[in-house]
Amino acid sequence: MTWYEKIGNQLFEPGRDQTPGEVVFFKLFELFVVFYTIKFAWEWGIYTEMRNIEVVLPLGLAKYIDVSVFFDNQLAVINAAFITLISIMSYLRLGYKWQYMVVMVLLHVQYVARFSQGEIPHSQNLIGMAVFCFAVGAIFFPDKKKMPRFVIGSIIFFIGLGYTSAFFAKLVGTGLSWFDGRHLWLWIGEKSIDILSREGLWAPNFLQSLALQSTIVASIILLIGWFTELIGFTMWFKKFRPFTTLMLIGMHFGITMTMNIRFDAFVMQLILVGFPWYILLDRYIKTTPPLLKRIL
Amino acid sequence: MKVIGASLLVYALLVAPHEGEFWPFSIYPMFSQAGNPWTRAMILDVTSKPDAELWERQLLDKRDSDVVAVSDYGVDQIDFSNFVVKTRDWTPSRLSALKEMFGTSAISGERWMVTKVRGELVGRDSVSIEISPYILLTPDSTYLNPNLSESDYGGQN
Repeated sequence: MTWYEKIGNQLFEPGRDQTPGEVVFFKLFELFVVFYTIKFAWEWGIYTEMRNIEVVLPLGLAKYIDVSVFFDNQLAVINAAFITLISIMSYLRLGYKWQYMVVMVLLHVQYVARFSQGEIPHSQNLIGMAVFCFAVGAIFFPDKKKMPRFVIGSIIFFIGLGYTSAFFAKLVGTGLSWFDGRHLWLWIGEKSIDILSREGLWAPNFLQSLALQSTIVASIILLIGWFTELIGFTMWFKKFRPFTTLMLIGMHFGITMTMNIRFDAFVMQLILVGFPWYILLDRYIKTTPPLLKRIL
Repeated sequence: MKVIGASLLVYALLVAPHEGEFWPFSIYPMFSQAGNPWTRAMILDVTSKPDAELWERQLLDKRDSDVVAVSDYGVDQIDFSNFVVKTRDWTPSRLSALKEMFGTSAISGERWMVTKVRGELVGRDSVSIEISPYILLTPDSTYLNPNLSESDYGGQN
């Protein structure tokens, strides 16, 4: 068995039978992804219609098409309506197996129209990656057992990859001195201006005060976070997955506390895919509900 | 794993020529360059400030005007900040867009100073945060900082 086949076995567990708990978990997870897809589509669409006036930073497809057309004519809202309709049809398995890919493209357009103003947020990336994995899974693995395994396994693969690549981006971008605590001081200062600008006032919380008083404390906070990113890829392995997930959730809590950056959907998704919830569900669910079987 | 490999290839091909970002694909480059000075934007309410002091720079902790909370006007503060900091050419339409961002009647009866706020490490153990007045918004007009050169606004005005 090659090394990548071993990783594949850890991610997709082809030898494990599908259980009622796994089916229920998968459809609940898919519902979570569809809910956030629709939520983001409308939030971005309404903001785009109401606030966006000029393209400041073209991202993704916005480099090739003029997304300012979405700022008027209700196009962003119409796009949100299409995303909603196709997402629900895809969830119910009505229509074609390439529909999630259409959702993916439309949601990308919605994102680049909304975030053409200069901000590049990442807290919605995991929902986007999940839609991408549903799209690829629905096309290449439409089988009722293989699709859930592919979707969850590939999401875990890309989460692990993302964290570890973030570690290396920092190593390449700054070097080993990245965890110098004074860098955290600068970021706390930067985020304090964002909060001040948003709310009209800002005061440091306990952790920020602690970090601002000591470079050693600030350096330790950065080092723990950086190390956690490095080991992100260990999520690929079943035995390590729950522990790595716990560390990643802790890291996000630390980022929220020190830099006021919230990752709500991101962390919820980590909680959902990082632990084997199907084992818990199997204790209470002995047969797969017929309705879920039909829309799997 | 072949499908994962192909997906990864698509990921890499999209991210590589787009500076590490092609949503939702990303190499997560944020915070990768540490220690660099930063610039953000913020609005001060300068309605009652004397004209002679309007364009003076000040340190954040010596600030003498209240900050206008942009969330009160439904504006995303990071969008606003990037709009101000990343705009290179302040064309009349950009200036107008800056004002329209808050709604047509938001500034009625007041004077808002759009400022650039710069933070940098100073010496071994401190961070300096300085506020520089940039664009004055009034109900009827917009004014650029007379102490800055045309090139600070892209030379278009």
